[in-house]
Amino acid sequence: MLAEIGLISTLFAFIAALYAIVASVYGERFAHSRALVTSGRNAVYLNFVLMTVSVISLQIALMTQQYQISYVWSVSSPSMPDFFRFTALWGSQAGSILFWSFLMSAFTAGATFLNWKSQRRLMPYAIAYMMAVVAFFVGVTLFIENPFDRWWILPTGDVVASAFIPVGAVAPSAAQLAETANGLNPLLRHFGMAIHPPMLYLGFVGFVIPFAFAMAALASGDLSTNWIKVSRRWALVAWVFLSLGLILGGRWAYDVLGWGGYWGWDPVENAAFLPWLIGTAYLHSVMIQEKRGMLKTWNMFLVIGTFSAVIFATFATRSGLVDSVHSFARSEIGFPMFAFWFLLTIVSVWLILWRSSRGELKDDHQLKSLFSREALFVLNNFVFIALFVAIFWGSFGAPIISELFMNTNITLGADYFLQVTPPLFILLFILMGVAPVSAWGAASLARMGRAMLIPLALAAASVGLFVVGGVTEIGALFGYGIVLLAGWVAIVETVRGILARQRVHQENLLTSLLALITRNPRRYGGYLIHLGITVIGLGVIGSTLFQQETQQTLAVGETLNIGIYELRYDGFLANQIAEDGRVMDIAELTLFRDGVEVAHLRPRRDFFPEATDMNSMTIAGAHSTVENDFYVILVNWEQISASSATFKVYINPLINLIWWGGLILIVGTMLAGYPRETMPIRVREKLRAVPQGA
Amino acid sequence: MRQLMKYVQVLIALVMIVSIARTVNAQDGTTGAITDDMVNAIAAKLYCPVCENITLDTCGTAACADWRYEIRLQLEQGMTEEQIVEDFVHRFGDRVVGTPLDPALRALSLVTPWIIIAGVLVTVAYIITRRNANAPALVQPSNDETTGNRYQDMFEQDISGS
Repeated sequence: MLAEIGLISTLFAFIAALYAIVASVYGERFAHSRALVTSGRNAVYLNFVLMTVSVISLQIALMTQQYQISYVWSVSSPSMPDFFRFTALWGSQAGSILFWSFLMSAFTAGATFLNWKSQRRLMPYAIAYMMAVVAFFVGVTLFIENPFDRWWILPTGDVVASAFIPVGAVAPSAAQLAETANGLNPLLRHFGMAIHPPMLYLGFVGFVIPFAFAMAALASGDLSTNWIKVSRRWALVAWVFLSLGLILGGRWAYDVLGWGGYWGWDPVENAAFLPWLIGTAYLHSVMIQEKRGMLKTWNMFLVIGTFSAVIFATFATRSGLVDSVHSFARSEIGFPMFAFWFLLTIVSVWLILWRSSRGELKDDHQLKSLFSREALFVLNNFVFIALFVAIFWGSFGAPIISELFMNTNITLGADYFLQVTPPLFILLFILMGVAPVSAWGAASLARMGRAMLIPLALAAASVGLFVVGGVTEIGALFGYGIVLLAGWVAIVETVRGILARQRVHQENLLTSLLALITRNPRRYGGYLIHLGITVIGLGVIGSTLFQQETQQTLAVGETLNIGIYELRYDGFLANQIAEDGRVMDIAELTLFRDGVEVAHLRPRRDFFPEATDMNSMTIAGAHSTVENDFYVILVNWEQISASSATFKVYINPLINLIWWGGLILIVGTMLAGYPRETMPIRVREKLRAVPQGA
Repeated sequence: MRQLMKYVQVLIALVMIVSIARTVNAQDGTTGAITDDMVNAIAAKLYCPVCENITLDTCGTAACADWRYEIRLQLEQGMTEEQIVEDFVHRFGDRVVGTPLDPALRALSLVTPWIIIAGVLVTVAYIITRRNANAPALVQPSNDETTGNRYQDMFEQDISGS
């Protein structure tokens, strides 16, 4: 019954999406019928309701163990706890595309509801574009990756998955299905997997809104700042989710993949990073259009490029392109996804060029100084695009070209990325430090230099502290200096504002800070984001350049030494059965720092008897401090007595700054996206009470 | 002749792997003077020829454990890091290293992104220059405190509450 409900609601959601496209465009462009356009809007809401029903149906099927549904059978098993049954919704391709479609439908309904009155001219076209994307993904769910297919036994004895009952087929017995159910991929049985994919999906699908409004502006001819106002906030929402998704993905890799790192420059990771790079460039350059009426064409390219990168990333990771260009051709969703991405990009670019050729995207001002804020933002955009090019080339360009034209397979790994990207990241951090103290319009180097004096001095002093702390590598000190400069600029600019306000209004520090932030949340949210990136940068430099590692085999009672730590192997717990059926082999270790016991660590290897593909998982033991992470992996052990075991140990300096920097970045983004017009009445009244020109 | 010797060495190594690996319980335990860290230092530079984008030092498959053991044996035979990496590339292709050793592939990998980036930079510079040339007279940076310092204006606007 649940399969039928899910299937029918998905089918009607697909029809509603198609109707919304036709009604909106025809109603606005040809029939000039408001009623028709309104019915298109209602179809958006209906689509959302139907997709909600569809997702809930699959979720209930997972929770109630309806193994006749092939998706439920493939991602869950009777021994799995409810928590993982819940997350199994996005545990495999069909379910994750349904979930993706649902989120996109939710975003579309939300954007339609919030902007219907204020953006009447853009809305019909925006609805058409949003629903075209929704319709594509719902169509993929219906016709290619249907999560509501059920198992059937044909008269010939073959077992097939089909949405409809084949002639003469019977359903397999529930007991047989439960007994053979696959269970969730072991790598996905982690708390991070409950949050990481939804965040990433929200980030990805969220960019459909800025894309749709940009396209609506191009299609309708309303190229005023209306589309910018809407798209910037939605882009920020998507960006914060994407950032969170990337950071959580790094944390999951660190906890589960058992290699002591958080970013492996894997094509799948890189594919998610690519839209983030262009999206970040857009969030910077959109300010230039708002303030100076410049870069109109460029912003169109960026916002459309971001969504195009989202679709490409989805296509690349789901089609098998990452493994090989040939597996993409074999994948069922490969060609439809590629065709959709290609069509979407071509139509978008054509629309931009068409409007541009008619002179409708002409800038109001030109660049007047190389040191003006807009010039530095252009340079910032260029660096983001350069990073995009370098990472795209390493992840997809070179491997595909070498396979297609040179008949050889190559994989560009960390070696390549660590040669090509550092100069660009350095340039980016320098710009992060310099741009906030530059002025819009005309600006001089001398004025900028004066504003940079204090941050430069503070950055130099901070680098001095690193030297005192024992860091002597010139490269590392240079890196820390550049990163810290960006952070100090953000702090100094904020403090300067607080002190000036204090002088004028005689307020205390906290009141001044709050008043400053509430008056200009975008600017101070932006500074907080820069501070978050600085903290992440410090963590990346520390954990990359100063990571220590060793691998040793220890007998029970023996110790190994690394840095200031000593690790003792105390014993082994073999074949421990967990609640979800996994079999755990656990090593018991004691960690000493400068001879003092600081922690008991239990690295382990989990084995999943029911899993078919990857059936084991390495869970590291870690002792975290502000200074570093002591991270230990159980590599192997003497099978019968476990009298000896091999451990791989890492010391990852400053690695926790990456997660904390991520949190700061999230708070900063929320602040930057906070709408001033919805400030609490109390705050608005307080601001109004401040004497004008005081 | 040198090539032939290399093949013989590899053959011997493979025979030894099959026979020795079966009897070794702790597959990454130390053998002779070669430590796990020495093996991992080289394994970290090689990608698993079977799995995608996983370096040999972190790959958990039995095949990778065998390859790590092979690296150990090669080290014991006195092969240098460079020779071992070259040997793996010779047998499995350039996909086992993070950046290809083959000069043409290496150039394609490392130089192409910079060429594209330079192309983008030149295009952007050209567009900006052309637009500025078509625009009215260029405004020079001004030191006039009353008109030029928008940054200060903006800042004062923030703190004033206006």
